[in-house]
Amino acid sequence: MSALKLLPQLLAWTALAVVLLRGCTERRRLTAFACAAGFVTGVLGIAFLARSLPATPYGVVRSLLGGSFLVLWVVSVAALYRSTGRGGSAVASARLPARSLAIGSLSFFFALTAGGICACRLPAAGGDLLPLLAPLALVLAGLALLVGALAVERRLPASLTVNFPGLLAALVALLLFSSASLLRLDLFSPLSMKVMKGTHDFVHQFMESILIPDHIFVRPAIWGYIGFLFGKEVGFWGGMVIWFTPVLLVLLAIRFELLPKVSHIRQGALRRKLLAAAMRERNLRMVIPALSLVVFAAAAYQSCYPSVEYWDPKPVLVSADAAGEILLAKKGGDLNLEDGKLHKYLYRQGGHEARFFVLLTPTGKLTVDLDACAICKPDGYGQAEGTVICYYCKTLIPLDTVGKPGGCNPVPIAFTDKNDAVHINAVTLMNEWTRTVQSTTKKEGGK
Amino acid sequence: MKRTLAALWAALSSRALAPLVIGFFFALYIGIAFFTDETLTVLITLTSRNRLLAAVLGLLPLNFACRMVVEAAGYLKRRRALSRGAVALEPALYDETVELAASPDFAELPERLNAAGYRTKESGELLAAWRGVSLAPARLVFLATACCLFAGILVSLVGRSVTRQPVIEGEPFPSPTTTGGLVQRIIFKQSFGSILAKDLIMEVAGTGPGEGTRELGVYPPNLVGGAFVYPRYLGVALDCKFTAPDLPGGFERSDIFAIYPPGKEAQMAVKGSPYKITLSLEKPQDGSDPYMTGQMVLHFKLVKGSDLLLEGNVPKGGEFVRDGFRLAIPEARRMVLTDFVVDYGVLLIWGAGLLLLVAVLIWLPVRLFFPRREMLFQAGGGTVRACSHAEGRAREHAGVFHEVLDVLAGKQSDSSVS
Repeated sequence: MSALKLLPQLLAWTALAVVLLRGCTERRRLTAFACAAGFVTGVLGIAFLARSLPATPYGVVRSLLGGSFLVLWVVSVAALYRSTGRGGSAVASARLPARSLAIGSLSFFFALTAGGICACRLPAAGGDLLPLLAPLALVLAGLALLVGALAVERRLPASLTVNFPGLLAALVALLLFSSASLLRLDLFSPLSMKVMKGTHDFVHQFMESILIPDHIFVRPAIWGYIGFLFGKEVGFWGGMVIWFTPVLLVLLAIRFELLPKVSHIRQGALRRKLLAAAMRERNLRMVIPALSLVVFAAAAYQSCYPSVEYWDPKPVLVSADAAGEILLAKKGGDLNLEDGKLHKYLYRQGGHEARFFVLLTPTGKLTVDLDACAICKPDGYGQAEGTVICYYCKTLIPLDTVGKPGGCNPVPIAFTDKNDAVHINAVTLMNEWTRTVQSTTKKEGGK
Repeated sequence: MKRTLAALWAALSSRALAPLVIGFFFALYIGIAFFTDETLTVLITLTSRNRLLAAVLGLLPLNFACRMVVEAAGYLKRRRALSRGAVALEPALYDETVELAASPDFAELPERLNAAGYRTKESGELLAAWRGVSLAPARLVFLATACCLFAGILVSLVGRSVTRQPVIEGEPFPSPTTTGGLVQRIIFKQSFGSILAKDLIMEVAGTGPGEGTRELGVYPPNLVGGAFVYPRYLGVALDCKFTAPDLPGGFERSDIFAIYPPGKEAQMAVKGSPYKITLSLEKPQDGSDPYMTGQMVLHFKLVKGSDLLLEGNVPKGGEFVRDGFRLAIPEARRMVLTDFVVDYGVLLIWGAGLLLLVAVLIWLPVRLFFPRREMLFQAGGGTVRACSHAEGRAREHAGVFHEVLDVLAGKQSDSSVS
């Protein structure tokens, strides 16, 4: 079952090797060697880190992914800049670095990251042997696929070429696709959340800067349009723009490349032939970036509709006693509040209701929190892979930070733990819920 | 020195500078985002307080201004070459320049070019052909837009100062720099505009002889004493008198309360006692707006410690008396919490908005329907130097250009045969 879960990552690794080999055809052997070394280092390095520092590997791989996406942005802007500049030799400048060191480093880096992502997908525990056997099996599978990639690449038509920005776009797209199915490596959801927050702040600052009247003066319909800018849809679409723009810029850069100058040729037929050949070559160079666009879309889809099943129990209705206290027994029947899972509850009073949950964090501390945070609409939380996720903004909160206030963390509620029961003041709970929900829902779209 | 200046000019007028500076601030934004959720606010504060960052931001308007000069110079040079024929053609101004051994006889060319839709001008050994309208003016306006926008942002960041003051009916207008006249009336009424639902007009009497009453509205904001008047929140200035059985001396207070719209609460602590009074505007049953009509009824809650003692309504100018408690509101006047913003960057940002509109309105139709295409042929020393430039429909233009070159080359071979 675990091997099946690795299928998208291994597929992406194979495609990544094919693209790298096609991009560096002049140094095929070096590229293959660097790929193999990078993949092995990535798998074993992350597996080793996972054993010694369990929380670190995800951060390392995410930083590598974020860094490569930023580099793609810079390269794509530079590519467009060069190809739209007068007299810029766009084709020449976009060529791959021919030096062995550059090709080796590029191949090693991307293979290392791909290996790291695959290693993050490995099961975290499972006896004494599995932590050793699983990375070794993964390394062997990766090397076998690399051999397959070499064979596939040789069968591709020679006219299918790729320039440096196009190669980079394809490599980053494959890495992002590979990581999108892992909640803790996914970049698209946090990107959307940051865009949502950034847009909200920008619109607010901009309106104040140019002295736009406040909502009490403006027509509700107009304010509705402005309110749309504060919604999570803007985060999603803004995230899409940032996600796809680098590849589109690469495609535009190739499209805007200057055709060869043919004015000195006096045979019209020859001129037309040269131009047609240049255009055909240019179109073929757009194939791999265009396919990358599809891979980027698949990564975004995977991020928006993850196959992960969140633990999200139906809230249990509770009531307060005469003293206004909600009592939750820690154990009873199938229930165990200290089993490390979310236990959700619903408290109703006078037409109002408040949702909250009880959780034992990995640090062994029991915590009671609202099923809402201080900044998002109260869509609630689900639990998966050592985290809880805010359904509204898709932010992942590590389990050991649940119970601490701030950001998108669930709002903690004061409680007492005595006589094998959790005691919560119902008034405090309801007031906290009302205060939190009022402050987050009055802002259009929460954040 | 000359070389240094040339390098400086090349850097300042480079197309790469603006993306680099924007990229720098974007990278800074990403860096800040790792440490705080209030990323934009922190970036704004940092830039406004740090002179180095402000200087880096200042490179943007400077770069766009320099690029305007370069753009204008290029446009003028190309025009001069077309109209008079420059002594030496500058290849940098054109997409393509070619020199070929050809006849300097341009006799048939004007006719051929006219048939292809080009206008021509022949003077001596120069033939110029062109069609369409240049996009240079639109590009200039666009560069001016970017220059104004970033200059406005810079001025706003570095020099903006905001003072919040209440504007109250019947009291002097609290302009931060001058002595304002008396606020005669605050009018809040329905608006029939397409954007604003409600109008707010503050009528301020003149301060000197011959100065009439000034009406300050919501948008566009008015300038008073060098500051923009930016109304933010509505509220009420109240005079309250409160007595209780255990507070026979009473309590009197005149204060402002931001309690608009009706239902919004504000709390007032009764000094030297455990009493607190929560006030809000009562929503009239006829659905009217008490701030518009001026007929205000205040809803109050009297709290002692955590116990609610009394709750009721007091009309403006009236009182509530029960069980030895008395709450009177002799006066309730309209109040507008107003920001006085000293920031001339706003003008530049508004100007940028207008310029952008102009640039788009020029650029779009010209680029779509009348793109500029030029070609220039200069004969001399048995060769013809030809230059071509197109701002749109470049392939069609290149076809015509190549045909003309073929004709010129053909003439040369004909003459050498004969």
